[in-house]
Amino acid sequence: MSSETNDIFSDEEKDILQEIMNIAFGSATADLAEVIDIFVELSVPQIHLIPVGELPDFLKNTIHAYDETVIVDQKFWGDFSGSGLLVLPSRATKEMLMLLADKEPEVSFTKTMATLEKESLVEIGNILIGACVGKLSELLKTFATYSPPRIINGSNVQNAFIKSFDPSQTAIVLKTIFKFEHKDLSGLLLLLANQESIGWLRKALHEFLESYE
Amino acid sequence: MIFSQIFEMVNVGIVILDKEFKVYKWNRWMETYGKIPAEKIVGASLFTFFPDLNTPSFRRNFKAVTTFGNFAFFSQNLHGHLFPFKATNTLGTDIKYMQQNCTMGPIRDENNIINYVYIMVHDVTEIAVYEQKLLEMNIKDPMTGVYNRRYLESCLEREFEIHKRYKKPLSLIMLDIDFFKRVNDTCGHQCGDSILIECASFIDSNIRTVDILARYGGEEFCCLLPETRIESALSTAERIRKKIEDHTFHVNKTKIKITVSQGVAVLSPEITSPETLLKIADSALYKAKEDGRNRTVTIS
Amino acid sequence: MQGAQIMIKKILIVDDSKVARIMLKKCLPKDKAYEIIEAVDGQDGVNKYREFTPDVTFMDLTMPVLDGFKATAEIMKLDKNAVVIIATADIQRKSAEHVTALGAFTLIKKPVKSELMQEVLAAAELKLSKLPGVK
Repeated sequence: MSSETNDIFSDEEKDILQEIMNIAFGSATADLAEVIDIFVELSVPQIHLIPVGELPDFLKNTIHAYDETVIVDQKFWGDFSGSGLLVLPSRATKEMLMLLADKEPEVSFTKTMATLEKESLVEIGNILIGACVGKLSELLKTFATYSPPRIINGSNVQNAFIKSFDPSQTAIVLKTIFKFEHKDLSGLLLLLANQESIGWLRKALHEFLESYE
Repeated sequence: MIFSQIFEMVNVGIVILDKEFKVYKWNRWMETYGKIPAEKIVGASLFTFFPDLNTPSFRRNFKAVTTFGNFAFFSQNLHGHLFPFKATNTLGTDIKYMQQNCTMGPIRDENNIINYVYIMVHDVTEIAVYEQKLLEMNIKDPMTGVYNRRYLESCLEREFEIHKRYKKPLSLIMLDIDFFKRVNDTCGHQCGDSILIECASFIDSNIRTVDILARYGGEEFCCLLPETRIESALSTAERIRKKIEDHTFHVNKTKIKITVSQGVAVLSPEITSPETLLKIADSALYKAKEDGRNRTVTIS
Repeated sequence: MQGAQIMIKKILIVDDSKVARIMLKKCLPKDKAYEIIEAVDGQDGVNKYREFTPDVTFMDLTMPVLDGFKATAEIMKLDKNAVVIIATADIQRKSAEHVTALGAFTLIKKPVKSELMQEVLAAAELKLSKLPGVK
């Protein structure tokens, strides 16, 4: 775990968090195979603690070639609040449509190709972000509510959501790479939460291990 | 007691389904707008009454909600509607179905197990109509009623991307009225405007619904033809040219005849930007003028 | 000797996460005294198996140095009657098929609850009782 600010989590908390991440994301991978009938692999997530002021640069470095990506952004609230970002290369849009369509997608009288593509991006984003946040919440005995996901351009990411973070605080970023099996297609999943959530998270981690049996 | 009253009185449709898609609860709003009484549908499968909902996408979203406890969203601007209810306040438009924003979410029991799913249905027809009007004001040319240049350029960009991804053909017709300045000088500006309006509607009636016709300049029109090859585009352009040539415009008891020059371009692998396609059509139009006007030219 | 009830005494837990090892230990039956050996990666797991010959081995899949698949294969080579139980969060069918082909006894889903642990241990004891030349 990268430790830009070492004192926020104790060593024990970091260990518990890492194992919770492993379980949540591993579990999400298994369930996704059932739910969307497609094998997607989620890598073991990396945990970063970043002062909010440094978030734009961190994101820029993480999401290479901003302009050629398409991003699905979704907010979630609860004890654990923040944003989920699904980052895909723009050329993946067609693949996403193919992934979900049960036959060759046809432009109908009411739906253009652009709409069909948007639909599938938003659906995949909703499911992947929901899977990770859902499993995490389940393990930590809480639940989240979600906003409708929306598509933002790679170059707009900084403006789009950084405003909801207090610049004086630290954000926690959980980063996973997801890969669709049998397709040369991979992207990035980022879960960002603000400092209040970190406070709750630390308590929940101890709770988790204490009451585990 | 309180909650069941709220459930029935609220101005939102609420359906509760069990994990087999059987209707568990159907509130008064759904009864009213769906014209299906609760006694009839409760206990039955949702798909018995709404077979069109039984799509892989609906089932997939439902499964995600029961597995992960997240929400699924069916937004009006992507889906139009989930439930095909008759629209009640269309504000004079010809919208047939109620426009809806729907949300699906989990319902948990005391042990936190998800056994039911709710669907909330919001009637957003009015908002959709206003949005549509606003959009039109923004993308249409107020005088002729066809699209404006800005909208055409954004469509061109979008179609360009789609062409690249799916390898579908794309053609462009650039059309300019010949000696329009002379027409304006002879019969006055209002007369010139009437001719532009009639010309626009002429062209419009000779193209398909998916084609995008825009007023590109003062007396210049541009037509984007998605999924159209050069032969088709040329034949459409020629048909337009001939019809305009043959037509007599009547303005204030004056008989006026006009002709148009056209440049046609088609997307090919060497063309790497939407602007280039416009340039090529423009060059073809220029050649049409140079070669004597009242003709259609394409540059291969 | 068929019919002799085998009690599990020695358990080897192989997982690179300390917390995961704690969690597994916590859900073991509290009324039995087990000798528990821990290993921090697949290679360490194989070495400790050789050294301590546990009755049952719990194995994680994603580990550095040597992963759970390879470590399971190694252990089965050392002892074809080894009882290796894979504990993982990602229980996709293809992983399950893969580990079964390698000789693993069963696959359990993390986080493991104590009821499941009891069932799995009982099943392991049953298998151990049926082995020829029971110790």
